[in-house]
Amino acid sequence: MYKNIFSRKSLGIPYLLFLLLFVLLPLFVLIYYAFTNGQGEFTVLNLTGFFTDPNTLGTLCYSFGIAAVTTVVCLLLAYPAAYILAISKLPAKSIIIMLFVMPMWINFSLRITALKEILTWMEGRLAYHPFFNTVLGMSYDFLPFMILPIYTTISKLDGALLEAARDLGAGELQAFLKVTLPLSLPGILSGVSMVFLPAMTNYVVLDMLYNSTYIMGSLIGSYFAAYNWNGGSMIALILLGIVCLFTLMTRGIEEENTRGGALL
Amino acid sequence: MRVEKKKKAALYFALCAILFLFLLFPETVLRAESDEKEERQVTLRVCNWEEYIDLGGWDEEDTIDLDSGDIIGVNSMIEDFTDWYYENYGIRVKVEYSTFGTNEDLYNMLTLGDTYDLVCPSEYMIMKLMTEDRLVPLSDDFFDVSDKNNYYINGVSPYIHSIFENNEIQGKPWSDYAAGYMWGITGIVYNPALVSTEDASSWKILNNPAYYRQITIKDNVRDSYFAAVGAVKSELLTSREFLESPDYQKNLEREMNDTSEETIAEVQEYLQDVKNNAYSFETDSGKADMVTGKVAANYQWSGDSVYTLDQADEDDFPLSFAVPEESTNIYFDGWVMLKSGIDSDEAKQHAAEAFINFNSRADNVIRNMNYIGYTSVISGGEDRRIFEYADWCYGAEEDERDTSDYDLGYFFSEDGDDGKEYIITAPSDQVYRQLFSQYPSEEAMSRAALMVCFDEEQTQAINQMWINVRCYNIHDVPVWVWIVAAIGFGILISAGCRKALEKRKS
Repeated sequence: MYKNIFSRKSLGIPYLLFLLLFVLLPLFVLIYYAFTNGQGEFTVLNLTGFFTDPNTLGTLCYSFGIAAVTTVVCLLLAYPAAYILAISKLPAKSIIIMLFVMPMWINFSLRITALKEILTWMEGRLAYHPFFNTVLGMSYDFLPFMILPIYTTISKLDGALLEAARDLGAGELQAFLKVTLPLSLPGILSGVSMVFLPAMTNYVVLDMLYNSTYIMGSLIGSYFAAYNWNGGSMIALILLGIVCLFTLMTRGIEEENTRGGALL
Repeated sequence: MRVEKKKKAALYFALCAILFLFLLFPETVLRAESDEKEERQVTLRVCNWEEYIDLGGWDEEDTIDLDSGDIIGVNSMIEDFTDWYYENYGIRVKVEYSTFGTNEDLYNMLTLGDTYDLVCPSEYMIMKLMTEDRLVPLSDDFFDVSDKNNYYINGVSPYIHSIFENNEIQGKPWSDYAAGYMWGITGIVYNPALVSTEDASSWKILNNPAYYRQITIKDNVRDSYFAAVGAVKSELLTSREFLESPDYQKNLEREMNDTSEETIAEVQEYLQDVKNNAYSFETDSGKADMVTGKVAANYQWSGDSVYTLDQADEDDFPLSFAVPEESTNIYFDGWVMLKSGIDSDEAKQHAAEAFINFNSRADNVIRNMNYIGYTSVISGGEDRRIFEYADWCYGAEEDERDTSDYDLGYFFSEDGDDGKEYIITAPSDQVYRQLFSQYPSEEAMSRAALMVCFDEEQTQAINQMWINVRCYNIHDVPVWVWIVAAIGFGILISAGCRKALEKRKS
């Protein structure tokens, strides 16, 4: 009689409940606050306010700048490392990969505190270079998220394609540019989205590395500390919109790319 | 068959739902049955600052060996209160103790519907809660001096009590609703090897270019506002005419709580200057950075200053504390009972008031002060143990040569005890160090001003000012950044277009 109770569909129910309670419900609350004022009346002033206030726009730019520079730094560091690792035939490869991932096992604030001490030792007063330190801290924190997807895509790459390129007369560099790089694009894109988006809001790194300028995360916090839940919710909602847009864009490119790969 | 399957799925769904609810709110589900068993149990929900009460577990060597007897925290204050309450009143009280991080967090928690019976916010939040009519007044029994268990009213420093009685909000004095817990003032902790006492004794140190990138400031709009007002009005506040006016106290409080448009604009300009000059605004790192020598000075609350100086002393790294000449902000944290929690339950209110009283008993005051470093509002009344403790902490050894007399009469003396003196003979440097932070001198207290609870309009203006200071203004984005961004964007777009064209061709 109880044979069917654990059918495949019903096994999904715990997650469905989780989704309803902790994802959808908060989202509706967020939307409700974003489009109401303190008295609970409908308003779009929060939305227009965001796009007319030089502070919020400036903060968006600043966060964007930090995230963009962090992503570029991560990419420049991660791609060569991942590439060399993926094509090398080192016996100790798995250990090296573990070394890259290991920082993720150590508590985040502990790592940043250590970084703070190292930077203080190198620079003297950290406060002279807040932007640089922030980018460094974030790159340090997010690097594994960039290395891993790139490494996975490159190591899964079909070696026959490279052989074919060589047979057709392509040099080492040309084969890399025409075959490896385009085919590793999905890995790069998922790495970029895993670094760029958190870097826009991770204000803990800023706080710990003495950057006194707000980024999006800290701006939302300051709105809530000033009891302005409506304005804060609107900023969070706009960020969510940016994230969605970004994900859609990268997915579009990714799909196109895999289709192109199949054609090749 | 189909119907049965659906039924089973529904059953499974219900099971999961119950399990979920149970995980989320175990108390609510369980309470339904256990409620009837114990009748004479009161639950008291207390919400206090983090690290703001003695949690016990002291080592033997931490014992405070006063002449009048040893004091040591074996159990947590909460356990001790439960036992004490049962012994005295025969009722088991269950204390559900939780903590909050900032006054604003507490307020948001209350707005979201968290219920507490007894909370310990700062004075401006107490004023806000009073204005919003969310508090239960303290009962008459609480102020009955003949009851020896009423440690609060029998022990509170008259100096503090008069402030609680003389400050009114909507025609009612604070003391009707709030019982003080800890108090202090704001000032500058500095490294005397790098900063002169004179420089540290003015709020203008915060934007002093001599200390470029060497000072940290509290990341908190009220404290920053106070310091900035002190700095921009420095000349007026230290002028002889202002100091000698018979209405000095009144004028001082008016000036320090000035929220006129011009002042806010001046403050904004000043704080922008500070942001460009200081090491950073800090939420939590100030104390540690002072001790490790990363910064030369730090804007601090006096209670934290005691802790910082103690920590630095362990590394033989002497620091000092200064109270700016312009003015200092006197602050309080106090116990208030919430309407939403107490809900006219007399047993609960009695337990809440007893909790305040228990924490005001001299030995418990000493335990709390020793544990958290802040200064209690309790002077002890006839019980001289708290003064004895201050002397035990800071008094000079007998063979000490360079000593000064430090008079704490303003805080400890009672109406009835004429003739008694409250003077600590301390090593001379203590006059600028821990003793000064723990019990500021009467001279420093003479320029103490309360910071009122601003109304909504003022709060909004000040918060906007703060956001203006902290945010990167879009007008400040340099031209080359726009150009780089435009080029980057152009490349992306053109690459996308080429891809699309290629696709169409193929």
